Amino acid sequence: MSCEAVYNANDYKSDLKPVWCPGCGDFGVLTSVYRALAESRREPHETVIVSGIGCSSRLPGYVETYGFNSLHGRALPIATGVKLAAPALTVVAVGGDGDGIAIGGNHFLHAARRNVDITYLMMDNEIYGLTKGQAGPTTPAGDKTKSTTYGNPDASVDPCRLAISLGASWVARGFSGDVKGTTALIARAIAHRGFAFLNVVSPCVTWRGDDQHKELRAKVRSVPADHDTASAEAAQRLCGESEHLTVGVLYDVERPTLLGEMMSIRWRAQGDAAPPTRTEMLRTFGAGFPRTSP
Amino acid sequence: MSQQVALAVVGSGGDGAVAAGDIIAIACGGVGLHVMKTEAYGPQIRGGESSCTVRVSTTPVRAQAGAVDALVVFSWDDFARFRDEISVAGSGIVLHEEGHAAPEGLGRTAIAVPFARLAKESGAPQSKNIAALGVLAALLGLPADAIRAAVKQRFAKKKAGVVETNLRAFDAGQAFAAGLTVDVEPLMYMRGAPHLLMSGNEACAVAAIDAGCRFFAGYPITPSSEILHFLAEWLPRIGGSSLQTEDELAAIGAVIGGSFAGVKSMTATSGPGLSLMAEMLGLASIAEIPAVIVNVQRGGPSTGIPTKSEQSDLLHAVHASHGDTPRAVIACSDVADAYHATVEAFNIAEEFQIPVIVLSDQLVAQRKETIDADALVHDVRERRVPPPHELEGYRRYAAGDDGVSPMTIPGMPGGMYQTNGLEHDERGRPSAMYGVHERMNAKRYRKMEAIAREYPLYRCYGPSRARLGILCWGSAEGVVREALDRIGGVSVAAFVPRMLAPLPARELQSFVDACDEILIVELSFSAQFHRYLRTEIDLPRGRTHVHARSGGKPLTVEEVAGAATRVLAAEEVLV
Repeated sequence: MSCEAVYNANDYKSDLKPVWCPGCGDFGVLTSVYRALAESRREPHETVIVSGIGCSSRLPGYVETYGFNSLHGRALPIATGVKLAAPALTVVAVGGDGDGIAIGGNHFLHAARRNVDITYLMMDNEIYGLTKGQAGPTTPAGDKTKSTTYGNPDASVDPCRLAISLGASWVARGFSGDVKGTTALIARAIAHRGFAFLNVVSPCVTWRGDDQHKELRAKVRSVPADHDTASAEAAQRLCGESEHLTVGVLYDVERPTLLGEMMSIRWRAQGDAAPPTRTEMLRTFGAGFPRTSP
Repeated sequence: MSQQVALAVVGSGGDGAVAAGDIIAIACGGVGLHVMKTEAYGPQIRGGESSCTVRVSTTPVRAQAGAVDALVVFSWDDFARFRDEISVAGSGIVLHEEGHAAPEGLGRTAIAVPFARLAKESGAPQSKNIAALGVLAALLGLPADAIRAAVKQRFAKKKAGVVETNLRAFDAGQAFAAGLTVDVEPLMYMRGAPHLLMSGNEACAVAAIDAGCRFFAGYPITPSSEILHFLAEWLPRIGGSSLQTEDELAAIGAVIGGSFAGVKSMTATSGPGLSLMAEMLGLASIAEIPAVIVNVQRGGPSTGIPTKSEQSDLLHAVHASHGDTPRAVIACSDVADAYHATVEAFNIAEEFQIPVIVLSDQLVAQRKETIDADALVHDVRERRVPPPHELEGYRRYAAGDDGVSPMTIPGMPGGMYQTNGLEHDERGRPSAMYGVHERMNAKRYRKMEAIAREYPLYRCYGPSRARLGILCWGSAEGVVREALDRIGGVSVAAFVPRMLAPLPARELQSFVDACDEILIVELSFSAQFHRYLRTEIDLPRGRTHVHARSGGKPLTVEEVAGAATRVLAAEEVLV
């Protein structure tokens, strides 16, 4: 039930104060979430935000909607269950890069493949912040962190390239320093039918250094106006340009969603016939039912 | 004349051994007889050897067939695989394919039957199993008309002529048997109202639907997959959904999500899956979200023996997950019990906002039993949802007397909260304070006390003061009951807790205190039930005996009666 009552960003602020470090990129993302929810014109109680574990996964507590701060890596299956059980709700899963690509990577694959009708907002800081500075799946190869004393031996993953290859139907990148742009992307993600993946690069000043914001800002550029968002190849190419941080909608296609499929399955199962009675269900266990009266 | 018969059919894939058992079970159940049917397979996915045992009786059947009265063997090579599992009664007959001589010492009479020739001459060369049904029906006094009807029904959708040739094969089998002079006691029975024929897994699935479950998420795993299959077929027909997930972590995750969103939700798995679900079990417990998990036990640890039963997930079910994690665990002893345990699991989960594990096992889950439809009725309870006028200053985790605090459903105006796997205060806000943690642990454990008060589920058999008291749980119950009948007299009693967590400890202790000797019976090599009872109640030192062994082979009535008799004769080594 969408409403005519107008909410502003402040209506979505909870009375809990973020635990994040001063200067954390996640503050910018949080502001964008408030604004995007207000823009979406949904009542706060019609939204559920589900998170995993990590710095960014604290976000649901700071937003005045229904929230679920769950387990490390498990936001997506929980969000999938919420959406299937209550299709009318707006469901947003949030978390970090380690949460979503390392421990929860398998769920990322399957949520994208199913095209489940939720938004997945990944706050990508290239590090494990909450556990105090270990390399994560998006940490560049060679980087020295607390767990990679002599340099990170692993190649890093680009979450957007990954999402496109997994079959996500909507993929975008944002930058936490660009609140306006990120707000617009979150709003578009929520409006998308199907699995919308938004990777917001959100610098960790504590473990990645104070210069991150400045360096990233210098690399940011918008998706070129002539980019074909229906082309996975073109989107992958944009992601691959390491000299830029290309923000905006990279990929946007329409394909059957999980909810749509579930409705179609119900139709295939029953058509417009009346639902079977319990007696009909029990009859599958023997011609002898219902009992013939003596 | 006999009041019951037991038979077994063994063959290769394509011989239709299991199909023959199905047809007998359906036919006998249809005329009001009681039936229990089990199947066993070799490791092959398709083909390979298969067997089934069917016990037919005029009175309720509580344990699967022990030694059979009649054994049909199409090939002795196939039989070798089941040598450990199928035995023939001393008075039993063996019917084997012509030209394949029976091994020595098996049963009393071996009869060569030209199954293949009878089938071929009837125009249905594939149907030697149907010819065997004719022989069995004639020799054992099974209801031939009902079997013919079941054959017709089974082949009704096949192309024209298939029903006729199969019926001819059945008649040929009967005619062949008429020419035999075999001294077998045929079944003597009165026809009665028909029964349903259902497996434990199917009973769990039907119970879930009856309890109001409209969302199921699961990952295929033997021996629980029939629950997924049934609900995948039926939930969409009644407005529900079934989701096959990428793994068990996602299955329980989706269930927790669905339940948080207000829909009764369930998953089903077996040991390896329950291991993966352990962390989520803790989440459902601390976030106080109703969730029902059916765990169908199989041989463990690790991949273990996927197709055979064991009772070795008990301690895992009761203790799995780190931290202090209240959850309820309900056992099921037979097919009807699987139904009631599952509805009860939903009732407890919803009423107390807690994860509940239904602890089934392969024996109960995959055997088929006749069951009276009237027995499949159970009260259904609902979760406490606050009415709108109680939402002023709503605190999701406010402490109630029984630990239960009303739970809003996302979408309800004014009921917003954040639920949390982090320790949290009454409003669901994360907290690392000792005082909050202590208070919230106490709140969550008060629910266990309330469940123990409201659901002291157990069954007791025999005298209230006995020389020997047997303690068992789950699928051992039927075997123990028949063992009690066999021992007879007034010296032996049995106590079977249905609630494993929280245990009906007071009632159990009174029972134990009233017995001179205690015998614990279970299918767990490390005697998990015994060790669990030691932590929950006082078992008398020097007077407690344990009969515990690995699964992979069902407990038998002879085995339990023997163990009990030895204790009564004071021969058993004490624990």
